[in-house]
Formats: sequence, C-alpha cells, structure tokens
Amino acid sequence: MSLLDIQDLSIHFMTENGEVKAVNGISLHVDEGRTLGLVGETGAGKTTTALGILRLVPEPGKILSGSITYKGEDILTMPEKDVQDLRGNEISMIFQDPMTALNPVMTVGDQIAEVINRHQHCSGVECQQRMMEILDKVGISGDRAKDYPHQFSGGMKQRIVIAIALACNPKLLLADEPTTALDVTIQAQVLRMVNDLKKELGTAMFLITHDLGIVAESCDDVAIMYAGNIIEYGSVEAVFDHTAHPYTVGLFGSLPRLDVDVEFLSPIPGLMPDPINLPSGCPFHPRCKLATRECMETMPETRELAPGHLVRCHHAQEEDNPNAILGDPGYTPPPMMGAALKDEEAGQ
Amino acid sequence: MEHLLEAKALSKYYTTPNGPLHAVEQVSFTVDEKTTLGVVGESGCGKSTLGRVLVGLLDATGGDFFFEGENVTHPDKKKRKELRRKMQIIFQDPYSSLDPRMCVSDLIAEPLRALKLARGAALEKQVQELMDTVGLARRFAYSYPHELDGGRRQRIGIARALSVNPRFIVCDEPVSALDVSIQAQVLNLLKELQIEKGLTYVFITHNLSVVKHISHDILVMYCGCMVEKCPSKELFAHPLHPYTKGLLAAIPIPSIHVKKPDVVLSGEVTSPVNPKPGCRFAARCPHASDICRQEMPQQEELAPGHFVACHHAKEINSL
Repeated sequence: MSLLDIQDLSIHFMTENGEVKAVNGISLHVDEGRTLGLVGETGAGKTTTALGILRLVPEPGKILSGSITYKGEDILTMPEKDVQDLRGNEISMIFQDPMTALNPVMTVGDQIAEVINRHQHCSGVECQQRMMEILDKVGISGDRAKDYPHQFSGGMKQRIVIAIALACNPKLLLADEPTTALDVTIQAQVLRMVNDLKKELGTAMFLITHDLGIVAESCDDVAIMYAGNIIEYGSVEAVFDHTAHPYTVGLFGSLPRLDVDVEFLSPIPGLMPDPINLPSGCPFHPRCKLATRECMETMPETRELAPGHLVRCHHAQEEDNPNAILGDPGYTPPPMMGAALKDEEAGQ
Repeated sequence: MEHLLEAKALSKYYTTPNGPLHAVEQVSFTVDEKTTLGVVGESGCGKSTLGRVLVGLLDATGGDFFFEGENVTHPDKKKRKELRRKMQIIFQDPYSSLDPRMCVSDLIAEPLRALKLARGAALEKQVQELMDTVGLARRFAYSYPHELDGGRRQRIGIARALSVNPRFIVCDEPVSALDVSIQAQVLNLLKELQIEKGLTYVFITHNLSVVKHISHDILVMYCGCMVEKCPSKELFAHPLHPYTKGLLAAIPIPSIHVKKPDVVLSGEVTSPVNPKPGCRFAARCPHASDICRQEMPQQEELAPGHFVACHHAKEINSL
C-alpha cells in the first residue's frame, strides 16, 4: 500500500474574475521511502497540490472532489485537530523561499524547538537536545542556535527550514522548489544533504520542481503537470528515456544542455493557458503538434503505455526520447581533481 | 580584426558603511564584433555591476573601457548620448523594468523619442516593425505591461533595446525570470537577431546551460574577480580553474545516463566588503596554499585564448 494516495483531486479558486481551475482531477501516489518529483511550469498547480495534501489551501480555494489517503486515512475528511497532529510531525513541508519562511523575530533554535515541543511532548531539556542534534544534522554548528534568521546566508536559512521540517522525523516530506532561490553550488550542497538525510531517516519525499535536472538526480518517479492535469507519470527511467507526451517532449527540447550541442532550441510554441479559461478538450491542444479534432473536443483518458507509465494524450506513443539519448549518453562533467571535497561549513 | 569592446583592469567599488565593496575587481577582456561574451557567476559576484559599467549606467572606479577603439570610460555628455545609440541593455526582470503606466507602443517608442530619431508616422511605422521583429502581435500595441505575461514583457524589453539600432547589447539575465518553454523562445529570438543584425552581446547569467548555448566566449566571475575566460567549447571540455570545475559539477543534468562526480564544492562566497588580500576563492578551494591567501593571482594565458587566474592552475591540470 502506498504511504500517500491521491485520487481524483480537484482544487479550484473562486475569485471575482471567475473560477481558477488550479488542479483538475489528479491521481498520484508516493510509496514509503521513495521520491516522487512533480514537474511543471509556473501556474501548473504544483504548489496548490502540495498545500492540498496538508489541507492548507488558502481562501478562496476549495477542494472540490477527490481523496487524499495517508496511511489508510482520508486527510480530507479528518477532524482539523488530527490534521494539526499530522502537519510538521508525520508530514512536513519545506517551502520555496527560505527568506520568507522563517520568523524574523524568533531565534532559529526556538523555531526548531517549537515544532518538537508541539508534537513530541518532551521536557525542555530533551527538546533542546533534540534541537541541537537536528542542527548538527543539517550542518549548522550548535552555537548558532541563538542567532536570528537575518544573520544567516540564503543556503544556511534553507538548511534551517529543512531542520524544522525534519525535526520530528516525518514519514513524508513535501519539498516545494527547495533550491530554486539558491545558487548552483549551494543548491548542490542542499540537495545532497536532503538526499542523505532522506536515506538515513527513511523519509518519502514529494519534490516539486521545474528543473528536470534535479528530477534526474533526486527522484525515483516523476509526474509532469500541465494546466492542473497530470499528463505523464511513471518511473524516471520511463519518462526520461521513453518520453511519450508531446508537452514533455517539448520541455526537453526547450532546455539548453551541457551535454548536448544544438544551434537552436526547439521550444513549445504559444503560452500556458489561463486557468480561468481553459481550452476545451485537452488543455495542451492549442500548442500541440499532434492535435486533431478529437483533442479539441474530448479530454483524453489516462492510458497505460507500459506497466507503470501513464500518459494522458489521445496520440502519444512511447518513443525513445531523442533529447535524452542524443548527444553523449556517457557525458561526464570534468572531474574535480585533487582533494575529495566534503559538504561542510568551510566558508563561514 | 579590431575588437569591438575592450576592458582593461576595469574596477567598480561601492561605498558602504563597513568599507568599500569591491564589486568588480580588475576585470580585463575583449569582445569581437558579432560574437557573444557570456558572463557567468553566482549571485553577488559582480556580473550585473560589470554590465552596468559597460553601458555607462555606473561609473567605473578604475581601469579603462574601449568601444570601437575609443576610450569611453568617462565620456562627456555629448559622447554619452552618442553611445546610447550604439549600446543598449536588456534588463533581468520584465516585471519591474517597464513603466506600468505606458502602453506597449509608447514603451517601444520611448528610446526613439528620447534620442529624437523618429517622429510622427515614421515613428509609428518603426514601432510596428520592431513589434514584428521581436514577435509581438500588433494587437498588443495598446496593452499595458500588466496585461501581458513574462515572455511578452521581455520581448518589449528586447524591442526597446533594438529600437535605436545598436551595435552592442548587454543582456542582463534576460531569461532567468521566465519558464523553460518561454525561455527557449526568447533565447532563439536573441540568436536570430544576432545573425540578422550583426549584434554583439555581453550575456550575463547564472545559468551555465544557457550561457553555453548562446555564447562564443565565456568569462567566469567569482566575488568580483575574473577567474577564467576562454571559448565556450573549451570551458566545458577543459575547465582549468577549480571554481569553474566545481560550478560545472554542481549543475543537475536532465538525463539519467550521466554519472556525475560525487563531489560538492563546500562553503559559501566570502564577503566582497574589505576583502582580504589573496585569491577570493581560497577559502573554498581544495588546492589553496599559503600563496593563495597572500597574493591575488594574475590572469595567465595557459592555452591559446584560455585565460585563468589561479596560482596552481598549471600543476593541478598538469600543464
């Protein structure tokens, strides 16, 4: 049984300008200890999905239908008190922007201890001990516990946000673009740390990102989201090497690559549709090369192309992805000669 | 061939209450006509400051900058105005770089009006042509920026820069605020314009995949200093500076067949305020020795066209 099972979830926002159809009947599952990547562009409904799992969809958003089953219980029908016991304890979230996710007038130590205190019912001393342990795990020295967020750099702040999320050993970690605000070398440090901790603690992860490179490095399964729908879903091997949906193919074609040389990129024409006014039929049809009359009229059902490889398109076939295979499959970044570098706090 | 642009030991310091902030320190490079120099580095490395110094939005603290063979580091008012017709800049954020109270056609016409290059019907015609060039439908001529998405707004920024027919454009992170599918459209547009109009770009970005795609030469900056400069292909095939190597290893690659080295660059960027003598990268460098902490390395040409500023570049690459 899956740790988290989302069935047919729809979340719409009732705004003055109309109904924003952010999430439209998606089904996903996260198995214990595995990482599911949710990929999509701005406005695809990724963050709304994550907030839905924690029942934190802000007003005027409404969860219209569907179920979110966590360990056999439906989060959507639970009493609010039980959901509060889950948040930060069993399921926790890493927010995108570490600059705004932390409370600026509370020391970072207190912010971590707050979560432990709320969920673990332990004494003050134990709580402090646990806080020091978790700070150490994310690579921040214990004597900085009394510092305030503004005294830390962006990468360090994100480590603290991660410490708060991991403080109660959650079973499921929702990470909403955890490294988007960070520089690449810091991103590499943070991603490696999250992956190591995930292995150590056996946590499952639901990783939201727009970067297919991060998916290739960190995820076991991947779901591609477009206009509130999951349009392709499967193992990373299936989706990257046998890309089926024309949107996913377009995403790969849009990426400038270190390992592939092309003169011009092959972008997807057109723009993301307005979620208030989604096109009829398949929401991708105005931008799609394969579109036919059928695509304009009916929304395709989800089909299983190969075991576990799902696609929502009338025409998609499982094909070898030229962009994953083209170029040099054996591409390796130039090695860093000399000392083996370790992820540690050196430049403080 | 003469270089279109040449910077010689260009520096820019900002004054802060804690002492001078060395944003750009002795950066030297040349750019040939119709080529693109990519400037890469992480946040705070001085790449945007460098771009602004080049187009004269900031005054250089030291060094010289030559354009078309002429020293234009501190031009007088008349010269500055003349230069505005020849060099332009595209800004990073299409959300804040456009006046929200001007419609698209006014925004594109503004540089032409300001420099008195066209008026009346001729101006209108030029604006329409510019909109066609950058792929903005004419029906948006009277729309306001808030009605448009990021990709279209960035096209306005590009049309504004192109309007005066410049020879040289600084592109300051023109695609980093855009989604990948839109980013690819804008990158293709910039490339096509370069071929069509013979433009020269200095392309500033933090995204190495983007810079590889668009640049002929690449300059890597770290904490205000230039650490490496060479042709684009060479940089990705044979990076010589330890920072460049770390940067390349840190980029996630969207393929599951790529085996990445299991090393991560440790530490964080040091502060450029009152920097210590020596190499700025020494605190994070696995090869750092005493000389690195005492003396700033000078750039050396280790291979044809391949400049590196590192005391140990020769031995760590066994050259």
